Amino acid sequence: MDIIVQIALNAVIAGATYSLVALGVNLLYSTGRFFDLGYGGLMTVGGYAAFFLYKESGFPLVAALVLAVIITGIIGFVIEKLIYRPLRQRKASNTVLLIASLGVITVIQAGLAMAFTSQFQTLSRNIAGQRTFEISGGIITETQVVILVAGLVVMALLGVVLKYTLWGKAVRAVADDEEVAQVVGINSERVIGIIFFIGACIGAMAGIAVGFDTGLQPTMGLPLLLKGIVAAIIGGIGNVWAGVIGAFALAIIENLGAWKFSGEWKDAISFAVLIFFLIFRPQGIWPK
Amino acid sequence: MEYLIHIAIFICIYGILGLSLNLVIGETGLVSVAHAAFYGLGAYAAALLLTEAGFNFFAALPVAMVLAGLLALATGVVFSRFRGEFYMLGTVGFNIIIWSVFLNWQGLTHGPLGVPGIDRPELFGFRFSENITFLLLSLVLLAATYGVAQFITRSSFGRVLKAIREDEQAISIFGYATLHYKLLIFVISAMLAGLAGALFASYITFIDPSSFTLNESIFLLAIVILGGLGSHSGALLGALILVVMPEAFRFIGFPADVAAQLRLATYGVLLIGLMLYRPQGLLGTFRL
Amino acid sequence: MSLLQTHNLLKKFGGVHAVDHVDVEFPAGKITALIGPNGSGKTTLINTVTGILPMDGGTVAVGDSVLKKIAPHIIATYGITRTFQNVRLIGQLSVLDNILLVLTERNVWGALFERHTKLHLSEAEEILKKVGLWEKRSAKAEELSYGQRKLLEIARALAMRARIYFFDEPYAGLFVEMRKIVSDILRELKAGGAAVVLVEHDMTLVRELADVCYVLDSGKVLAHGTPTETLERDAVVEAYLGK
Repeated sequence: MDIIVQIALNAVIAGATYSLVALGVNLLYSTGRFFDLGYGGLMTVGGYAAFFLYKESGFPLVAALVLAVIITGIIGFVIEKLIYRPLRQRKASNTVLLIASLGVITVIQAGLAMAFTSQFQTLSRNIAGQRTFEISGGIITETQVVILVAGLVVMALLGVVLKYTLWGKAVRAVADDEEVAQVVGINSERVIGIIFFIGACIGAMAGIAVGFDTGLQPTMGLPLLLKGIVAAIIGGIGNVWAGVIGAFALAIIENLGAWKFSGEWKDAISFAVLIFFLIFRPQGIWPK
Repeated sequence: MEYLIHIAIFICIYGILGLSLNLVIGETGLVSVAHAAFYGLGAYAAALLLTEAGFNFFAALPVAMVLAGLLALATGVVFSRFRGEFYMLGTVGFNIIIWSVFLNWQGLTHGPLGVPGIDRPELFGFRFSENITFLLLSLVLLAATYGVAQFITRSSFGRVLKAIREDEQAISIFGYATLHYKLLIFVISAMLAGLAGALFASYITFIDPSSFTLNESIFLLAIVILGGLGSHSGALLGALILVVMPEAFRFIGFPADVAAQLRLATYGVLLIGLMLYRPQGLLGTFRL
Repeated sequence: MSLLQTHNLLKKFGGVHAVDHVDVEFPAGKITALIGPNGSGKTTLINTVTGILPMDGGTVAVGDSVLKKIAPHIIATYGITRTFQNVRLIGQLSVLDNILLVLTERNVWGALFERHTKLHLSEAEEILKKVGLWEKRSAKAEELSYGQRKLLEIARALAMRARIYFFDEPYAGLFVEMRKIVSDILRELKAGGAAVVLVEHDMTLVRELADVCYVLDSGKVLAHGTPTETLERDAVVEAYLGK
């Protein structure tokens, strides 16, 4: 019985992280209209920026995190402006954008590896001494609780902004149909730029979360992003909230699978799920 | 001199990989990021047949190719229905799944330990143990691959592939079961990748899963895109440039691990630059 | 004798019935015009019958078969071919290649071991000369002028040696000399016993060429008869001009 609870708890944490990623993926996909692999790189940047500020430069925790998130957001904004926008203005196909984004994540990964070495790093100052909580026989660490709560807060905030603010409506208009949004007077380029900034911020949070929970590696971005994409596709690509549910579903399947078969097959299981959905239900559980 | 021969052999191996991947991406417009899976399957098949079943290399070679082809047939049937970026994502997932199999099916593949002690090829008593003789063998196989690629693109079949690349639905109206065409080229391409894999295994005499990761598929993608889509000589040129480049970095004096990251960073920059300024690559005739 | 009939053909997009339980038939040796205001369902009808869009209901009878589902690659076996309103050639291939594509072996293995023959080339020559494009055979299709591209599409359809031809606005954007070429081709096909279906907006052309007309409006057949009969009817005039 204990093991089930532990699996459930692990799934909840993984799900929360994947949700943040899926959230970003959906935001970017609905407006930019392609799968931005560079997003994986940005998540890693967020984690390492926090690492640099907090552990290597001695900034206080909150300041380091906030700065790291903002820096990552800016980088995401700049990448969109310098690389994706010119391509989109030339009506480049999705494949071209996807390949360019592949280039972006490759450069980011290599750059981070050169700056911080490929060694595993962790964000926590004090891993062993962490507080843990016991819930029905399963263990959850303080870090994980913080991640969970922070994740939920971010999602809730985003939800409110998207639904009730004028700007949020502009985003939804651009996501729906960019040309029509432009006709109505929305500056879609600016909206997309800001979305990439916000998406990168959310991504940074996911990267930081992983950095605290498991640790940082320059190559962690792509697998994490791919999980987020799988979650988004399961939920229904473009449907921001369905991605959250997809994320938890994926986390549960993954952890159950890891228990039944063995931990090493986790990735294979996630991608088998992806392929299953691509074949039988590419529009996801809740199509837009 | 030995060093140059070593590089030349790798150019041949990657030349075969580039030529075969170009058939799928450049000629047919299917952006597959799964090529390393077939490369790996060919390598493992040859390795295991040579070390555990006492096969002669020249008998193992066709078996490796057929196995790669069968796997491609099975997966091609599934993937050929996916559109654009979903096809690319599906192939990414497939690559990861196959790599997981190489890594985790320890009973068959020895997992991370790899397969050591693979013999060099032997024909009627003559062993290709000198690198120079192996280079000659590689050149012959490269020339054969080039011949096959030319044969395909000059035939009526090749013309149909180009039509599929541009407007699959329009050409199907005129009586073409385009699925069959996509399947066949995918299988042929995979068989050639399997050939390269067997060659690689027998040259290095030891293989492990780390040679067949997603990153390897990305490297192959970079070769084809750099050299130029739809151009056989482009694929060869791409292989030449991308194999020589990291050696050039080492030559300049960078330490090995930095050189490795620099090489990655360069592919990334190349991919971005190509998409922005020259999507058809150096010698290509087809813009993505 | 009708070569192709639809029975209760239905194609919907969400709640909109773009083709609303339509019965039409296309007789051999006659030119049938499909006319109607924009959005009336003419192109959708053709797209459904040629497998571009899946049918949501009804059947299509062609030859001895009654079809409930049409995959694009099988229409050729039933002797059906078409041109597109928004010209769909293979731009990156040459003019000649675009024609060779429909002359050469369809079977995957046959195509692999085939290089196009002198016979193919002479057939292509005959067809391209008919539309005046033989001189331009090495040019890439995307380099041609709009009018030339439309002619090339027509040539491609001709090369199919089909029994049922759907031409979707073949005259749009063509100069007078090119229009004459197209009209000659349509008449020749009709004389050869094919069922020629023409979507057109130019009423003069319709009166001049068509033997029979279907007027469509909002996915339904509004009128059916000779051009004179149908074009005079009040309901038709209203549909075009609005009440």
